[in-house]
Amino acid sequence: MELIDQNLSLQDKLHILADAAKYDVACTSSGVDRRGRKGSLGNSCADGICHSFSADGRCVSLLKILQSNECVYDCKYCLNRAGNDRVRTTFSPEDICQLVIEFYRRNYIEGLFLSSGVVKNPAYTMELMYHSIYMLRNQYHFNGYIHVKAIPNAPQELIEKLGYIVDRMSINLELPTAEGLQELAPHKTQSSILTPMALVQKGIAEHRLSVGKDALMDRSSANRYLSETIFDTAQPSRIHESSAYHAGITSTSSGTDSLIPAPSFSAPSISRPDPFVPAGQSTQMIIGATGENDYQLLTTTQKLYQQFDLKRVFFSAYVPLNEDAHLPSLDTAPPLLREHRLYQADWLLRFYGFQAQDLLTADRPNFNIFLDPKCDWALRHLEIFPVEVNTADYATLLKVPGIGNKSAYRIINARKGGNLDFDALKKIGVVLKRARYFITCKGKMQYHLRIEEDFITRQLTGEEHHSAWDIEHPQTYQQLSLFDTQFAVH
Amino acid sequence: MATIFTCDDSLEGILTCIYDAWASKLGQQNIRLLIEPVVEYELFCDYRHTDSDSHKANNVIDSIQKKISSYAYQMVYRCAMSASPDKADIIYRFLLLGFHYGRQITDMIQFPAVSAIFEINRAVGNEAHFFREFVRFLNMKGNVLAAHIEPKSDVLIFIAPHFADRMPSENWMIIDDNRKSAVIHPADQEYYLTSLSDDEFLRLSHLEDSDDPFIDLWKEFFETIAIKPRENYRCQRNLFPIRYRRHVTEFIPPG
Repeated sequence: MELIDQNLSLQDKLHILADAAKYDVACTSSGVDRRGRKGSLGNSCADGICHSFSADGRCVSLLKILQSNECVYDCKYCLNRAGNDRVRTTFSPEDICQLVIEFYRRNYIEGLFLSSGVVKNPAYTMELMYHSIYMLRNQYHFNGYIHVKAIPNAPQELIEKLGYIVDRMSINLELPTAEGLQELAPHKTQSSILTPMALVQKGIAEHRLSVGKDALMDRSSANRYLSETIFDTAQPSRIHESSAYHAGITSTSSGTDSLIPAPSFSAPSISRPDPFVPAGQSTQMIIGATGENDYQLLTTTQKLYQQFDLKRVFFSAYVPLNEDAHLPSLDTAPPLLREHRLYQADWLLRFYGFQAQDLLTADRPNFNIFLDPKCDWALRHLEIFPVEVNTADYATLLKVPGIGNKSAYRIINARKGGNLDFDALKKIGVVLKRARYFITCKGKMQYHLRIEEDFITRQLTGEEHHSAWDIEHPQTYQQLSLFDTQFAVH
Repeated sequence: MATIFTCDDSLEGILTCIYDAWASKLGQQNIRLLIEPVVEYELFCDYRHTDSDSHKANNVIDSIQKKISSYAYQMVYRCAMSASPDKADIIYRFLLLGFHYGRQITDMIQFPAVSAIFEINRAVGNEAHFFREFVRFLNMKGNVLAAHIEPKSDVLIFIAPHFADRMPSENWMIIDDNRKSAVIHPADQEYYLTSLSDDEFLRLSHLEDSDDPFIDLWKEFFETIAIKPRENYRCQRNLFPIRYRRHVTEFIPPG
């Protein structure tokens, strides 16, 4: 069933292991600032740097590869599931180090994103990955960004050791409900995902406290002007390791041939401790493989931010790769618009002071496909509009469709020097075609418009219709031409 | 009759020109500033050329930093690096307001003179950021990395510190093909900006090591990483405009 070919060239391996890794969406290189060092290669920028954009328009920031596409698990949605007949291969640590260093020197990439199929068992796989990254950091002196996937059920001490040499760690939640996970990924359980997540969270908090920072990750600095963000109400819970988790480890690590001799590990004893996962944790959920609604997805997202202090939650529109009775059929188009709406809502949670319950409810569990979540919200709360741009506070300005963080900030600063009119707003970067229904300048609206739900909805959906259609149909867009063969009469 | 002050295309030239325009006491509504070479001369205008003078330029810089803010000077500097033919006049109008309102002027985008410099400033900043992302080094013989760029604005000075921090122990250079200038960084030393003679420029454009195996490896990765059912070339073009692809490895067709 599995074909392991030892004679593959580096290029073949790269093809196989990049192809197998590409369905993971997290490719950001953000969250940590680190200066370069003489003798080392690389630094890191908190804003993140994209280096290219692939044919699907997604950013290429990190060298996104698997250590190996061998896998003992049989997750139904995954290209590398044990039941699939594919060429299997594994990168040696030297292969990975060489690729990262040489790509980085040519400014192709910002760092490494390393994930893996489960070779033999989680402990063995995690050790192999640790070995690659350790070599990259210490023998090849790589100082750039490293994002590593933690393997569910990997031993705790390996995850801890990894935390000190990587920038970001992530464990994919895959599906928001335990039932969905049970159905599609029978070898993973929600606790095998959440336990390491809590472990990393604890490590991050401990490190932050030890260097005199707040225990929780830094969030957008403008959030301090907002009264009730999801992060204010966050109560980080410390999940205690369950006995079942320990039992799982002892059973898996018993038959391991060890790559690293010393299992015990403590942080290096220099005056300032090494940062532990400084760019925070992230996770990913698959959209559209099972029957969850947007409300479930968004409340799960919010809980992950609040309880596990995640830096980012990513959504991945389900791309059908395998045929299975439990999965949507192979000709299902990836739900790109739904993914887009979820990201819009995710931004509203993190930067605009919205809560999941403001945007969706159990009675209205899905996003409007015709309107973005903020317009949708505003139309249901017309009582607070119109907002006077020259006097409204930052939090209120942010609620206006068409005004974002930057333009709200610029409005606040600019109006200290005199009143603003619609021309000035345009220069500031406000999207007037949306905002004009919700704001006044010096007591006047831009045009004489009715603040009436049906009217504004019709206006806004007209504007939104095109962009929504484009997102859902990325390839079908083409201009009608007289000489188009498709339309020719035969 | 309008008076038009002209100057050469450099920060020093522009600031000297502003100094002279200010000192002429002709009244700001009667004055315009232009970068040389002047393409279309207008009738009924008095053209006055100003020679760069570092003393005058430094005076203006001092005044901007003291009477407005160092942030305002940053904006002026970035604007001076842009390719806009109106930049001297835009800086002049901005400074007129700046010396009146002081440090808060940089926030007052409601004034057309401020929004003009704000926009150019943003365009230059964005372009510099694009090149931080899209510069591609070629590995030349002797382990020297060389990159060619063709930016609209003079961005070398903005991107050099980024690469110096990131690759302190590598030999690298970035060459601006439009301006025939380069930033050169010898391993473990400070980098420097220099202009290239025609001869040097010609030699540098033929040094590439074309059998670098990592070029093909990178192309392989780049092709593989795209997800077919999500293909969206319009989105790709928005995020990676065509004009930046000229020297970018993954977009150069083989052979």
